[in-house]
Amino acid sequence: MSFWEYLGNRHTQLLADSLQHASAVFQCMVAATVIGVAIAVLTYRSEWAGDLATTAGATILTVPSLALIGLLIPLVGLGVAPTVLALTLYGLLPIVRNAIVGLRGVDPALVDAARGIGMSRGRQLLKVELPLAWPPILTGIRVSTQMLMGIAAIAAFASGPGLGNSIFRGVASLGSANALNQVLAGTLGIVVLALLFDGAYVVVGRLTTPRGIRA
Amino acid sequence: MSGTTSGTAGGDSGAWDGDTAGNTGGNTGGTATAAADEQRQQPAPQTGPGAGTGTGTGEPGTTAVYAGERLRDRLTWQKLTILPGVLTLVLLGTWLWFRSAELDTIARNSLADGNVALRLGQHIEMTVISTFFVLIIAIPLGIALTRPKLRRATPVAMAAANLGQAVPSLGLLVLLVFWLNIGQTTAIVGMVVYAVLPVLANTITGLRNIDPGLTEAAKGIGMSSPGVLVKVELPLAVPLILAGIRNALVLNVGTATLATFIGGGGLGDLISSGITNQRMPVLMLGSILTVALALLIDWLASLVELLLRPRGLEGSS
Repeated sequence: MSFWEYLGNRHTQLLADSLQHASAVFQCMVAATVIGVAIAVLTYRSEWAGDLATTAGATILTVPSLALIGLLIPLVGLGVAPTVLALTLYGLLPIVRNAIVGLRGVDPALVDAARGIGMSRGRQLLKVELPLAWPPILTGIRVSTQMLMGIAAIAAFASGPGLGNSIFRGVASLGSANALNQVLAGTLGIVVLALLFDGAYVVVGRLTTPRGIRA
Repeated sequence: MSGTTSGTAGGDSGAWDGDTAGNTGGNTGGTATAAADEQRQQPAPQTGPGAGTGTGTGEPGTTAVYAGERLRDRLTWQKLTILPGVLTLVLLGTWLWFRSAELDTIARNSLADGNVALRLGQHIEMTVISTFFVLIIAIPLGIALTRPKLRRATPVAMAAANLGQAVPSLGLLVLLVFWLNIGQTTAIVGMVVYAVLPVLANTITGLRNIDPGLTEAAKGIGMSSPGVLVKVELPLAVPLILAGIRNALVLNVGTATLATFIGGGGLGDLISSGITNQRMPVLMLGSILTVALALLIDWLASLVELLLRPRGLEGSS
C-alpha cells in the first residue's frame, strides 16, 4: 500500500490522533503559560529567586523525557495524567526564562510613570509590564510548543494520546507492510502540527503585540 | 537551546534550545545563549526582517545575563558540591530502597547478569560517540558557512535548523530503521542527525555575533583570513561553542533513552521493560539512573564550560 493510499484508508484514525495530539499540546501550553508567567511575576524582582526559577526549570529540561515520564508513572499511573504533567513541566522553562528576562527588561522609568499616574501594583503589571514583556514571552511559548510536539510523541509509550501511537504501532509491527506508513504518518503529522502551531503564533504575535512596540 | 538567528534572519528565532536542554545556567560570558539572545531578538520577529538587532533592545537582556553570571561566579563552590551531593544521596537512597525491595522473577530477570551496568555503559557509549560526531560535523560546517564565500547559505542552514526542530526525535530514529535496520549504530546516526542542527545554529550565531569592528581591525593590522579566524573569531566564539557541546551532550543523553525502541539498548531498555512488564522497581531504577546520568553529564559540561571560557571575555559581550 502506498503512503497516499494508507492516508486515505486511515484518515479517520490519523485525524483523531492528530486532534488529540494538538489538543494535548495546546492545553498543556495554556497551563504552562499561566504557571510560567505567574512564576516569573513572583520571582523577577529578586535576582536570587528569578535565577533560582530559571535554574530549576533548566534542570527539568535536562531530564530526558522518557525518564521523567517513567518517574511519573508510579505516582499517577499510565495514560493521560503522566503525559499532561510531563508536558506542562517541560513547557515551563522557556516561558519562565523569557518572561523573567522580558519583565526585567522593561524600562523602570515606564513603571515609575505608571505609578506616578496612580496605577496600583496590579495594574502596573497588567497594563504596562506584561504587555511590554509579551513579545519575548510569546517566543518562549513558540519554543515550548515545538518541543512539546516531540515529547508528546514519546508520551504515547505510557499510553498517552496522540500521533506517537501511530509511530509506536509502526515500531510494534516492524517488518509488516504498513510499518513504514504508520511511522511516516505519525512523524509527518507531528511536523505538520508543529508548523501549523508556529504559523498560528506568528499571527497571534501580530495581533497581540501592543501597537506602541510594534515597528 | 540556545542561540539562534540574529535579527536579520527575521521570524524564526529562539528555536533551539532551550529547547531541549542544555541551558542550565549556561549563559556564558554574555554571548548569545538563550536568555540574552532571545531578549535581543524577540522584538525582532515583530519588527520584521531587516530590522537587525537593535542595540536599544539589547541592553536589558545583557544586564540580566551579567547579573546571573555574577551570581554564578559567586556560587562556584556551591556549584561544585550541591549537584554531586544531591545525586549521591538520591543514588544511595535508591540503592537502600532496592536492597529491601521485593523483586519477583520478571523484575529480577530484567536486572540480572549485570544488565544494569551493561545498559548504563551502552548509554554512555552512545552519548559520547554521537556527541563526538556532532562536534566534528557541526563546528567545521558552522565555520565554513560563515566564511564570506558561503555566507549566502547561512540563512538556509538556519532555516533548516529551525525546521529540523519540528521533527520529533522518536519519529526520526524509527524512520532510520527502515533504511539502516535496527541496532545501536542506527540509534547513533539518529542522535547525530538530531543534534547536529542545533549545534550548527549555535556555532553560526556565535561567529556572526562577533563585533565586525574586531575582525576589521584584525584585517587592518594585516592578518590573513585564516589568521583572523584562528586568532580572533574562534577565541571569541569559544563560549558559544562550549555551550553547543554541552547542548549536544544533553540532547544526546535524552535521545539515547529512545534507542531502546529501535533495539539500540541503553538505559531506556530498563524504563521500557519496566513499563511494558508493569514492574515499578525496574522502571524506577531505569528512570533514576537516566536522570542522574543526564544531570551529571550536564554538570560536568558546565564545569568544563567555566574552566575553558577565555578569561579575557569575562564581563565583555
